[in-house]
Amino acid sequence: MAYKLAHPFKLLALGIDHFTEWTGRIVAWLTLAMVALTCAIVLMRYFFETGSIALQEAVTYLHAAVFLAGAAFTLKRKGHVSVDIFYQNFNPRTQAVIEILGALFFLLPVCLLILIVSWDYVASSWAINEASREAGGLPWLYLLKTLLLLMPVTIMLQGLSEIIKNILFLLYSKMPASPQGEA
Amino acid sequence: MVEHISIIMFIAVCVVLMAGYPVAFSLAGTALIFALIGNFSGNFDMSFLYALPNRLYGIIDNTALIAVPLFIFMGVMLEKSNLAENLLSSMSLLFSRLQGGLGISVVLVGMLLAASTGIVGATVVTLGLMSLPTMLKQGYSSSLAAGSICATGTLGQIIPPSIALVLLGDVLSSAYQQSQLALGIFAPKTVSVGDLFLGAVIPGLMLVAMYIIYLLIITHFRPHLAPRLPPREQSKVPVLQLLQGLLAPIVLIVAVLGSILAGIATPTEAAGVGAFGAALLALGSRRLSIDRLKEVAQTTTEVTSMVFLILVGAAVFSLVFRGFGGEALVEDLLSNIPGGLFGATFAVMVMIFFLGFILDFIEITYIVVPIIGPALLGMGLDPIWLGVMIAINLQTSFLTPPFGFALFYLRGVAPKTVKTKDIYQGVVPFIGIQLFLMILLCFWPSVATWLPSLKY
Repeated sequence: MAYKLAHPFKLLALGIDHFTEWTGRIVAWLTLAMVALTCAIVLMRYFFETGSIALQEAVTYLHAAVFLAGAAFTLKRKGHVSVDIFYQNFNPRTQAVIEILGALFFLLPVCLLILIVSWDYVASSWAINEASREAGGLPWLYLLKTLLLLMPVTIMLQGLSEIIKNILFLLYSKMPASPQGEA
Repeated sequence: MVEHISIIMFIAVCVVLMAGYPVAFSLAGTALIFALIGNFSGNFDMSFLYALPNRLYGIIDNTALIAVPLFIFMGVMLEKSNLAENLLSSMSLLFSRLQGGLGISVVLVGMLLAASTGIVGATVVTLGLMSLPTMLKQGYSSSLAAGSICATGTLGQIIPPSIALVLLGDVLSSAYQQSQLALGIFAPKTVSVGDLFLGAVIPGLMLVAMYIIYLLIITHFRPHLAPRLPPREQSKVPVLQLLQGLLAPIVLIVAVLGSILAGIATPTEAAGVGAFGAALLALGSRRLSIDRLKEVAQTTTEVTSMVFLILVGAAVFSLVFRGFGGEALVEDLLSNIPGGLFGATFAVMVMIFFLGFILDFIEITYIVVPIIGPALLGMGLDPIWLGVMIAINLQTSFLTPPFGFALFYLRGVAPKTVKTKDIYQGVVPFIGIQLFLMILLCFWPSVATWLPSLKY
């Protein structure tokens, strides 16, 4: 009965997990694009002796998108390194407490900080439709900088899901099933 | 004493990390808590933190760092398509007539896999899963097998093209510029990732050579530690066919490395071509499917985000550290250590060695090196030498019982028959080899600096 009460929270956590999983899977394909574009740049430089600033900037955009939009996905898959010498020997309840406290005192405040201090930085870039300073560069620098807001928001969402899941685990000793890690 | 808060914060971070929450958040979160308390008590000016978006954009805009995901892609592709495993089995068949041949193959394959993820854990685990069962089955002593796998697993840090060196090169180049500007040199000399690669070539190859020599000597005098395959199981496959299996991955890695070292390609370009080449090799050996490609892309995304989130966390930490006046304090401390430059370098190396027990390469590179780098380089140290020394030092730290990372990771994948004591005993000779190389580098810095100096 009590478990049912928590149901909306469970749905919320699983919804976030789904969202994060799918953004990650989509973003992952950008790594292939990075490889392809980098090879194209090399080909152009060495065989046709031309360079394209736009192409090089495109690789930078892809790279930024991969690591900034992929951060929440990595959080969901527990891919962020930690010092697990002691952690791995803790019992699951202690681990859950660490996850909750870490998210509350480290993850959420840090993301809020990034969001707050980056807001004006990004807003002023939008205000002037900031473009690349290089001739022939891409005109979407303001979009690239917006990733600095997207990263903390997506990580906070996923952090919220982790908090909910761990609280549910502490209360009911079972972890809500999450969308599968591997495709 | 406001400056001492920075040191307390550093110690607090080390303690907090032990809880096991992801490093990037622990690092930034602890710093933020200190900043808030400092702001409340009037010791910290929050406006320092408004430099953060610029710092973060600096990470995005740094083209040298684009090599990182591309090298990761190449490493993951070689690993997931079993090319690495094949390489090991072909090579050990090739060396099967040699006493200790399997051990030597493990060292050589580990060296070629250096371009893998650059995280000690991943390399040791991969190598451990791949080769430990084979070695034990062939009758190798547990300690010799475990020792050579751990030592080889950490080799990936120093052998170029490793992402550890890409990151270290990035940090050292800004530290170098900073130190020269502080001395009033306004047309500073630069040091690039390529320079660091060049500097690491000779020390790296020397390590490999010494590992192999050790294996040859020990197995010559104590053949029972590493029995040969019985003749009937020895290779019936023609040598030529074996060489074919070896050739492609070796050509790939040598081409990537060679083009960087010869100055033909930037590390990023070479990494991109290398990643493409690895995919072609997988395709050529019919090991590339859409699913496999998906898996490689997703793992690459995870590892890349992991690496760069630490950079983000370290950016927050270092801003707060600077806000508390920590940089000036460290410079002051280092210049007051008796023994001048040697004393300061020695102290830093000892500190890094112990930090290696709790932090991985990337964290140390982005937390410690920006703090101590400008001070040491300002005292006249060569940046390439410093980079190579840090790399070998950390590698030794990762190997040292009881806290070395490599040992934990191997313990995690080793069967119960391999005792923890065996692992500890096995690594001791390799630690000796590493220490020997570091002493050598102290007396003959040109082992590291000679090759880069040819470039100019």
